[in-house]
Amino acid sequence: MAKVLYIDYQRCTGCRTCEQVCAVKHDGVLNPIRSRIKIMKWEAEGLYVPISCQQCQDAPCMNVCPVKAISRNEELGRVEVNYDVCIGCRSCVVVCPFGAMSFNPIDRQVFKCDLCDGDPQCVRFCDVGAIQYINAEEVALDKKRHAAERLSMAGKDSVALLAQM
Amino acid sequence: MPLDRKLAIVDLTSGDIEIKAIPLGIRKKFLGGRGLNAYLLLNYTPDDVDPYDPDNVVLLAGGILCGTLASATGRCDVMTKSPLTGLLSSGNMGGFFTPELAHAGFHHILVKGKAEYPVYIFCHNGEVDIRDARDIWGLPVSDTQWAIRQDLGDEEVKSAVIGPAGENQVAYANVMTGIKNSAGRCGAGAVMGSKNLKAVAARGTMDIKIAYPEEALEFNKRFIDQITSAKVNQTMGTLGTPFIWGATNSWGGIRTRNFQYNQTEYADDIEPEHLDEIAEETCGEYHMTACYGCQVHCRAKYRIPDGPYKEVYDEGPEYTSQGAFCGETDTPNAITLLTANHLVDKYGVDNLEIGSIISWAMELNELGILPADKLDGVDLRFGNDEAVIEMIDRICFRQGWLGDTLAKGGIQASDIIGKNSFDYLIQVKGMSNLHSDERATPALALNCALASRGSDHLRSRPAIDLYHLPEPVLRKIYSSPIPYDGPLSSEHTEYIGKPYQVFWHENCYMAVDCLGICKYHTTFLGATLPNFEDWSKVLYYNTGLDMTPEEIWDVARRANMVERMYQLREGLKRDDLRKGDMLNHRYFDEPTRRGAPDVVGRVIDKEKFVKMIDEFYEYKGLDKEGNVKPETLKELDLEKEPSHLL
Amino acid sequence: MVEERDKLSTAESLRSTRTYGKFRCHNPTCMGRLEPKPGDKEIECPICGMRFRVAWVKKGFPRIRGPVWEHNRKIAEEALKKKGVE
Repeated sequence: MAKVLYIDYQRCTGCRTCEQVCAVKHDGVLNPIRSRIKIMKWEAEGLYVPISCQQCQDAPCMNVCPVKAISRNEELGRVEVNYDVCIGCRSCVVVCPFGAMSFNPIDRQVFKCDLCDGDPQCVRFCDVGAIQYINAEEVALDKKRHAAERLSMAGKDSVALLAQM
Repeated sequence: MPLDRKLAIVDLTSGDIEIKAIPLGIRKKFLGGRGLNAYLLLNYTPDDVDPYDPDNVVLLAGGILCGTLASATGRCDVMTKSPLTGLLSSGNMGGFFTPELAHAGFHHILVKGKAEYPVYIFCHNGEVDIRDARDIWGLPVSDTQWAIRQDLGDEEVKSAVIGPAGENQVAYANVMTGIKNSAGRCGAGAVMGSKNLKAVAARGTMDIKIAYPEEALEFNKRFIDQITSAKVNQTMGTLGTPFIWGATNSWGGIRTRNFQYNQTEYADDIEPEHLDEIAEETCGEYHMTACYGCQVHCRAKYRIPDGPYKEVYDEGPEYTSQGAFCGETDTPNAITLLTANHLVDKYGVDNLEIGSIISWAMELNELGILPADKLDGVDLRFGNDEAVIEMIDRICFRQGWLGDTLAKGGIQASDIIGKNSFDYLIQVKGMSNLHSDERATPALALNCALASRGSDHLRSRPAIDLYHLPEPVLRKIYSSPIPYDGPLSSEHTEYIGKPYQVFWHENCYMAVDCLGICKYHTTFLGATLPNFEDWSKVLYYNTGLDMTPEEIWDVARRANMVERMYQLREGLKRDDLRKGDMLNHRYFDEPTRRGAPDVVGRVIDKEKFVKMIDEFYEYKGLDKEGNVKPETLKELDLEKEPSHLL
Repeated sequence: MVEERDKLSTAESLRSTRTYGKFRCHNPTCMGRLEPKPGDKEIECPICGMRFRVAWVKKGFPRIRGPVWEHNRKIAEEALKKKGVE
């Protein structure tokens, strides 16, 4: 089964390296507006949330495309745009619930994450692991582990409390 | 290309804006950032100009690698003539401002003149506007940044701003971007304030072409691995710069009660591990944050857990704040630290300078040099947390006689206070020393005396000297890129070999500032971090500029020499205690009393110290008086300065 | 030129000199390497007798958190007396 991009925004330090390497990998130039991934920031609260395409199973962009330029590539587990067919109407931009389908004002084209054909550079450069590329069945494993840790910690605390009583 | 980013010259008096290309010849001589800023300062300011005169200029710049794939390229160098020292004002900050400026088409902004009313400058996609800032004037730092975004209707705008301290011309006011990133130390914020310039904002969507994108991507991965694998950066990425406190305070390297002691005892409350706990409790498990394109993430997020600013969000604190608000003032309490750190970020003032000046005033009060009727009711005792917090407010808003006097900076304040107050002022060239105590570390003491902008740890401090590295390792480091076969010593209490180390680090840090990357990515706190050889590659892949490590070394030497020429022009004299390369007498006269058994009882040997300065001058190409030798000017191609080529 | 760019730089080659699991005693002429056992919260330098509180950045990565105040203070006072500093 194809891997998926897993974003744990709490780990994000807001450094925007992912935006840099995404633009350079795809377009050979550095420009955050060319990046397929974008970190949304609330600086005054220290909150940073990377937003990228979720490669939806029932993708609104695919459904809305009037010329059927968007399709699902099962092998790579991604939703992709066929630029030979795309007419640049931006309907997909309008319907994407994440804003992950973007419009590049320089080349006047829609663009989205293509998982770098299986070697996502944002993941490779994200030292803190805020963006990971993992097997689909593992997406919830990390969270389960954390929840289990919390439970066991609480368990230990309650034992200690009991001992004090 | 990064090389086609331009210089914008903004005249606030006339409203004229001139946009100039930066010729390749100048790039090769100075690269960008601090080096090119120094060249522009020397060329664009009249001799002996008053720092607050409209003819003084303020320069903001990214380095040559700004906005490229090289890591941590978000550095912004701010240069002007300093109201604090009357000499070179140079500050450097991280954040996200200069990459945005680079995408807007600019690497350097030069501001001259004075606006009739408060304004801000907006740079966007090749154009520069001067905009009304009357509604924004008076706002704190972070609110100013937000107000500018609202004014422009674009949340992606980044800005370098001043806070109330800059508006009130506190002589050590900062220019700031983000919550806490500050170009500090020399009062560039006050100069901006004197020009009615509240901010320089930028928003850009222009491409920056990477010379060899694939190779740049691959090499940068290697570069980042080298940086993140260093133990020092792993520690810093967990605890932030406060990590330095633990060891330094253990051996006795923290000046306490101004300069009375060299260790802050029982400082457990402000130890990095405790600060880390507070950050975790208030901001979650993952509470570190980073500057543009940086994997070190050395800044903690925190909310103040208690006190008058309970639950307010801020970032840091840095090691410098620990020293300024806890060590020097002898108030080692976490709430005081986090609150004071927040206040300096809010008002836009230098943490190090304000803490040092408050502790100096505390000592003057203790000695009876400061008359009780001049204290405006503040109980200015060492160990009084409330006084520290209160004095930050008073200085930034120049309230009362004392607040107003201390806002002028140490030397001017000592002239007003009189008696022998100057003797207790721990400064070089008018700028307060870092809170570290260098009496046991001659190399570090030498750096304080010789740093170009005044006493400072970020211009030439050989911090790795403390690591007791074996001589062959030292030899390897200091023989790159230019072979060095002179003396070296692993002992950090020694005097031999240290002048060359300081000279090497001066060039290393200048190169970093010209490239526009962060000092935590070079041989500053870690011996295995990148320097000249690595930069030659990162420069080539990103910009296409093919320069050898030796050529980058020469750029750094040249840029340092331009700073020296500026300092000499503005009145630097070797032995002048106010404007020279000499430390306060207490380094030589008062032995240390705390810390490790081999640290106690130490002073700097003045005779040996003077010899170290002689030796340093020789490496640098200066004569015995500290003036530039004609042959040095010739060697560095600086004979025709100021050459007005840009 | 390209070959040269692949070569390890001086700084990169120094990575092999890193030591893990230890830190140095911070007494300048001592600088002995101290290796706390996993989980240790305190360590005494066998050479100079200074005592440090230990913190762990992560597993296998100890650092000095701070001195053991009373203990080191006594050593410092004795040293100061010996050196005849008032």
